[in-house]
Amino acid sequence: MAQSVKTYDVVIVGSGAAGGTLAAHLARKGVDVAVVEGGPKINTRTDFNTHAMPWEFANRQIPRMKPGKQGMASERARGLGGKTLTWNAVAWRQSHRDFKGKSIEGAGEDWPIDYPDLAPYYEKIEREVGVCGNYDNLPDLPDGVFLPPVPFKCSDQLIAKGAKKLGLKIIHVRKSTLSRNQFGRPACHYCGNCMAGCDVVAKYNSYDCHMLPALKTGKLELIPNAVVRQVVVNGENRATGVRYVHRETKQEGEVLGRTVVVSCACVQSVALLQMSNIANASGQLGKHFIPHFTGGVEAFLDGLKGSPLKNDEGFLDHAYLPSFMHERKRDYARSFGAQFGYQNRRSIGWAREIKGMGADYKQAVKDRYPAFVVFSPYGEMIPNAQSYIDLDHKRKDEFGLPSARRHLVWGPNDRLIFNDMQKWSAEILRSAGVEILKIHDEPRPNHELGGARMGSDPRTSVVDAQCRAHDVPNLYVIDGSVFPSASEKNPTHTIMALAARAADDIARRLQRREI
Amino acid sequence: MSERRESLKIIGAIGATCAFPFAADELYAQQEHTHTEGVAAKLPEPKYFKKDDFEMIAALAEMIIPRTPGAPGALDAGVPAYIDFVVSRSKPQQKLFSDGVAWLRKNKFAKAPAEARLALIKPLCDAVDNGKVDTPSRKFFRAMKSLTSDGFWTSKAGMADTLGYRGASILGEYPECREH
Repeated sequence: MAQSVKTYDVVIVGSGAAGGTLAAHLARKGVDVAVVEGGPKINTRTDFNTHAMPWEFANRQIPRMKPGKQGMASERARGLGGKTLTWNAVAWRQSHRDFKGKSIEGAGEDWPIDYPDLAPYYEKIEREVGVCGNYDNLPDLPDGVFLPPVPFKCSDQLIAKGAKKLGLKIIHVRKSTLSRNQFGRPACHYCGNCMAGCDVVAKYNSYDCHMLPALKTGKLELIPNAVVRQVVVNGENRATGVRYVHRETKQEGEVLGRTVVVSCACVQSVALLQMSNIANASGQLGKHFIPHFTGGVEAFLDGLKGSPLKNDEGFLDHAYLPSFMHERKRDYARSFGAQFGYQNRRSIGWAREIKGMGADYKQAVKDRYPAFVVFSPYGEMIPNAQSYIDLDHKRKDEFGLPSARRHLVWGPNDRLIFNDMQKWSAEILRSAGVEILKIHDEPRPNHELGGARMGSDPRTSVVDAQCRAHDVPNLYVIDGSVFPSASEKNPTHTIMALAARAADDIARRLQRREI
Repeated sequence: MSERRESLKIIGAIGATCAFPFAADELYAQQEHTHTEGVAAKLPEPKYFKKDDFEMIAALAEMIIPRTPGAPGALDAGVPAYIDFVVSRSKPQQKLFSDGVAWLRKNKFAKAPAEARLALIKPLCDAVDNGKVDTPSRKFFRAMKSLTSDGFWTSKAGMADTLGYRGASILGEYPECREH
C-alpha cells in the first residue's frame, strides 16, 4: 500500500464546493492540507465540449468530455472541482426562516446556527469569488456583496409582468458568475453553456477559483484519482487518515492526517461514513435525506411566438421568483421558490410533442422556438422515516465498493407544496399569456441534502454546529449532507459559507492542539 | 373535408419547390421517377434497415418534416440515417419499427401516390395527437415522429438553417430586452 510520507494537518476527501473552499481557506491560514479526489484533474478551458452542437454527434447527444479527456465519469470519481465544474452557479444566502423552520412553523428541524453566524462567511465568499445580483432588500433572501446583475431576458420581462398582475415580484437571479472582469477572470460571454463546463472560468469552479490560487501558498497538495473507500479511525477514536483505491491502477493507498474532512457531496459523504462504520452513535447517519423537489411547467409565451430569434441564452436563467407563500395563509408548512428559463435552446425535445405533421407542423415548431420556457419551482422537503441513504452491498461499483442507495418517499406536506407550486407556476404563466405544453405531475428530486445532519444534541444529530462529528473529535463532514432542513433555496452558497466557517474552527483547534 | 384541405396544403407546399419527387409527381405529372427511387437517390447505405424498408422510412420522415420554400426537410437534414442509427441500437425501437414496416408493406405504402400515402398516414397522426397510442401502427407513428423530430431539429439544417439558432457564441455584453 502506498502511504503518504507526511502527515497532513488536514486531509479533505472531495474537491467540490465544500472541499475546494475549505482547502483554500485552510492553506491561506498556513495549515498543511491534502485534497483527495476520486476523479482526474480536469482543465475546464480545454476538456469539456462547452460550445459543441448536437449535430456533431451521430446520436445528437453532446458528450460531456472532449475525445480523450477524462472526468465526470461517476459520483465517486468526477474530477478536481467536483460538481462545481458543471453547476448552474445560483448563489442564495439562506435567511432566519430557513435556519429555524421548527421554531417558526413546527416543521422539519432547526439548525443549531442562525443567519448571523453565517452572514460573515457568505460575505467572505462573495468577496473572493464574485456573485452577481441585484440588491432587493428582501428579508427572506438577504442581500450580499454583489457584482451588477445581468439584464432580464424578454421571456423574464413577460413572466415578470404576468407575476406582477398576481401581486408577485420577480427578481434578478444571483449567481457565482462574473458579470464583469474581476479576480483575473473574464466576465461571462453569455454562450448559454454554463452546465456544460465554463471554458473561461467566468463561472465559479472550486479548482480554478479556490484551489489553484491556494497552491501558491505551498501548503496545499492535490491528490487526484484517489477514490477514498475508508476513513481510518484508531483505537482512541481518532481519525488518522483515509484509505483509497487508485481510479485507474486500482492500487490501494493511504493519506495520513491529524484531521479528516469528508466533503463528497451529500450521498457519497454519507456512504463513505457508512463504509467506514463511523460517526453513527446517534443512529442518525443516513436518515433525514431531504433533497429539494422540483416540478415544472413547459409552455410557450404568446408574446414571443413567431418573433425573430435572438441570441439571448445568456447564462441560462436570469430571473427568480423568491418564496412568497411563507407570508401567506396556506395549508402546509415551509415554502417554494422558482427558477425559470434555464434550458438552453439546444434542448428541443419538446418539438416532438407539437401536434400535426408536414409543413404546418414544421411552422408550428418554428413559431414556438423563441417562445419556449420551462418554469421550475423548487420546494422544501420535510424529513420522514422512509427517506434515507444506505449502502447496497449487492451492487458493487468499479472500485469494488458498495453503491450508495437513495430511499425517497414524498410526505403529505411535500405533496401539498408540490401541488401548490405547480398551481402557482401555471397561474403565473397564464397571467403572462402562454400556451401550456406540459404540467409535470410528479415531484423529482434535485439538490441532495441531509443524511448527516448538524445539531447540538449528539443523540439526534451527526455533526455539531461547526460540522464536526459528535463521535470522532477530529472528523468533520462539510457539504449538503449536514443540512438539518433544506430550505427551498439552492444550497451551494450556504455549503461554501459552512466550509469557510469550518476552516476557522479547524485552524483554531489545530492551533490549540485540540485536534 | 378538413383533412383534404390539410393534405392539399401539404402537397402544395412541397410541390411549390419541387422538393420532393412524390409530391411533384402528383402536381406536375412528372412520371419518370417512381416515388421510392426519388427518395433512394438521396439516401446513404442503411446500417440496420433493409434497403426497401429504409426508403419507406425516409419517405415517411419527409412527410412529417418536408422541405418547404427556403427551408430544408428531413431528407436534407439526414434524418433517415439518424433513425437508422438510433433503431440499430435499441431493441424496443426495433420492435416498434418492424411492426411499422410490416404495416406499411401491408398497406402498399411504397407504391402509393402521395395523396394515398397521406390518406394512410394522417389518421395515425390524428390519433396520436389525441393521445391514442394504442395500436402497433400508431405506436410506430409516435416513434417515427419522435425520431424524425429529434433528428431534424438537432441537425444543422433544422436548428441553424430552419430555426435560426445562432447561440453558443461569444457576446461582449448581454443583449438587453427592449421590446417587452
